Amino acid sequence: MATDGSIQARAVTDGEDHLISADEPLASLQLHCGGDLPGLVAVPGLLELVRKSRQFDLKLARTVSAQDGRSAIVAWVEIEPRSDGEAGCNLTVRNWHSAPLAADDTRESDQRRAEIDRHVAEFAARLDVAQCLLSSEGEAPDLAELVRATQSGIGRPWTDFVMIEGSSHRQPIHWRLLDGAAVSIPGSQRRWRARLFPRQSSHAEVDGFELCLTAETALVRPSQRANAGTTRQKGAASVQRAHVARDIAPVLRQPIARIIANAETIRTRLAGPLPEEYGTYAADIAAAGQHLLALLDDLADLEVVEAADFSTAPDHIDLGDVARRAAGILGVRALECGISIDPPKLGESLPAIAEFRRVLQILLNLIGNALRYGPRGSQVWVRLEELGDRGRIIVADQGPGLSEGEQSRVFEKFERLGRSGDGGSGLGLYISRRLARAMGGELSVESAPGQGARFILDVPRDGVDTASGS
Amino acid sequence: MIETVISPGTAESVETLLRFELANGDGVISTIVPIMRHLLSNDDASVFSDEIVARSRGMLRDVAEQLLDHLASAGGESERVAHDEAAIAGLVDCIIASPSFLGHIHALAMEWQLSERLLSRLALDPVISPLIQALIASPEAEASSHAMMLLASQARFSQAQRRMKLPLAELPGDHLHAALLAMRTLAGADDEADQKAAAAEAAIRARYDESQTRLSLIAKLVMGMGGGAVAALSVTHAGVAVFLSALAMASGQDRDLTVLSTNESQLARLALALRTAGLKPSAIEEQFVSIHPDIALPEGFDRLGPDRAAAILAVAGVAQDI
Repeated sequence: MATDGSIQARAVTDGEDHLISADEPLASLQLHCGGDLPGLVAVPGLLELVRKSRQFDLKLARTVSAQDGRSAIVAWVEIEPRSDGEAGCNLTVRNWHSAPLAADDTRESDQRRAEIDRHVAEFAARLDVAQCLLSSEGEAPDLAELVRATQSGIGRPWTDFVMIEGSSHRQPIHWRLLDGAAVSIPGSQRRWRARLFPRQSSHAEVDGFELCLTAETALVRPSQRANAGTTRQKGAASVQRAHVARDIAPVLRQPIARIIANAETIRTRLAGPLPEEYGTYAADIAAAGQHLLALLDDLADLEVVEAADFSTAPDHIDLGDVARRAAGILGVRALECGISIDPPKLGESLPAIAEFRRVLQILLNLIGNALRYGPRGSQVWVRLEELGDRGRIIVADQGPGLSEGEQSRVFEKFERLGRSGDGGSGLGLYISRRLARAMGGELSVESAPGQGARFILDVPRDGVDTASGS
Repeated sequence: MIETVISPGTAESVETLLRFELANGDGVISTIVPIMRHLLSNDDASVFSDEIVARSRGMLRDVAEQLLDHLASAGGESERVAHDEAAIAGLVDCIIASPSFLGHIHALAMEWQLSERLLSRLALDPVISPLIQALIASPEAEASSHAMMLLASQARFSQAQRRMKLPLAELPGDHLHAALLAMRTLAGADDEADQKAAAAEAAIRARYDESQTRLSLIAKLVMGMGGGAVAALSVTHAGVAVFLSALAMASGQDRDLTVLSTNESQLARLALALRTAGLKPSAIEEQFVSIHPDIALPEGFDRLGPDRAAAILAVAGVAQDI
């Protein structure tokens, strides 16, 4: 009950609010709060007070609360600007009270931690239910290699691109075991941690994941100034105008993704009940955002395929595998459209020479179109054929079909065949054909009005010259 | 009022001036209706009663005059002299641009009003409460001397409130800083005035010690009581000033906001704050009998736990830094 005013600790800070010296128990609190001694004052409330006293040049006296991870601490602190001519303050601590922390609501703290991890993640990817990559993005310079590898490895398990520390299992194992795992990333010196957030479908089943990689330390960048100088020079040497793929897309992608995520939050009423109309508006916002994002991707791709030095990286691939993966990726959307996709049977294979990612991109575009324009209850077939030195994938739908005239125009840039408002950009088929041709193949269409359409992708077959293998 | 801030001269400064004045005028227009509604619908229990407004105005004027005194003596020993009315008004205008400063002044006026009410109704002395008396009689020299200091400070506060004054040395650090910035802004543009202002400011800053302010002395007293601070959560035992500080600390609210919550329009906030502070419903009832004798707590209030009360308070929309 009594006023114990005896001094419990003294401390001194300097002109940058670094704690130069401190008695116990303040010294251990500083260390427990993640600070160094000497080092910047690590207790947020105390730092604010020290800074105020130094800047205002006023003697202040307040209570300061803090946590050292185990207990909640309240203390009376008197702060006085130093009178010895040095910048900084003298601190006197009295009335140190420490009480055990109330146990946090674990659910709430988990949620908070998840939010933090999401916000600070430097690499984020969307995964399908088998933990295979659907998309990836990352910004830090030491992630460039990973981003490049993952983006050309869409469709492969994410664990192929990083090393899971302390695990020799064949990856990917169950997501709960990977959530929180320490990983190392090729090209990065830093230590990383993986977080997997399951994405739930309307039936409360997991239908995919969000993967976030957070670094345990921030990347120390070389002097910003020096950096800016070199970019400017580079910019001047090459082209003046901004590039969609290099300059605009990365900047726009994040805000748009946030718009979509927030609109989805509203639409699904995660934050509470909402009148029906607002849910519909939110759905519209989300859809418009998705469209923007898709358009951005298309424009970036367009720029890439139209570049003079565009080339693909041919590899030995299995067209059957690519086709099945494409069908798998679009499975959820097909379900929503009430259309079933009939991919090549498991085990059916057709080796070819092409770039996996590009073929997948073309197939996603073709099947996506079929889903968009096919009637409910119809089917989309994906078939493989061998044709001499060509491997062929056919995507056939039961949509309205195309007339002769439309067939000749459908591969043109920004051609929408009179459609609008359905989320297309008119670039997909144009880009797909450019891609097919860049791989030494061809993309064509056979159709008649009312008969559905057959889009045919031809690429060079593998093992034609070495006839022995198959 | 127009001539106070900017000296007109060039076309540009006229435009700036007019724009500034227009924005001011718009601000006034947009607040007319809510303020009028308040003034018309409330009696003297209002947060805008004539008494509160007059006392706030008095304190602001006093702060401005003290600053002008210091300015006049340029850092030397200041004495109270008469000042130009326009200068006082200009400085007051500039000071109340800080919402938290204004909020603090308002809260002090409310605190004093509550003290006077409890004095007349319960004969509760605004200076010396049973708690302070007990502490002064304490065998521990330090506790006793601290309580004595607080007693003296609280006596000065009562006297100052009766005169509608507020010494600079009693302002919390942040508010003093805001006041000094206002003084600096208005001091004038030429070098000599600026130097005088700087000297005055330095003198005020050097003389100031927040730990000697009344609010700081109370806070330290409550801190020192540790777990016993719950004894300070009885307004009749601790007195209005200590009660308000203890309640603010125990409910995690800003003290100025806590003071506001004793107004009749803020019953829910007061009840929730008391619950958050850990008082049992019966003890809360007692506090209500003292502060709002004709108000009964809502049915079922006793089932609301301190955690829930804290949660409700935490999500309430009032900015804590009013």
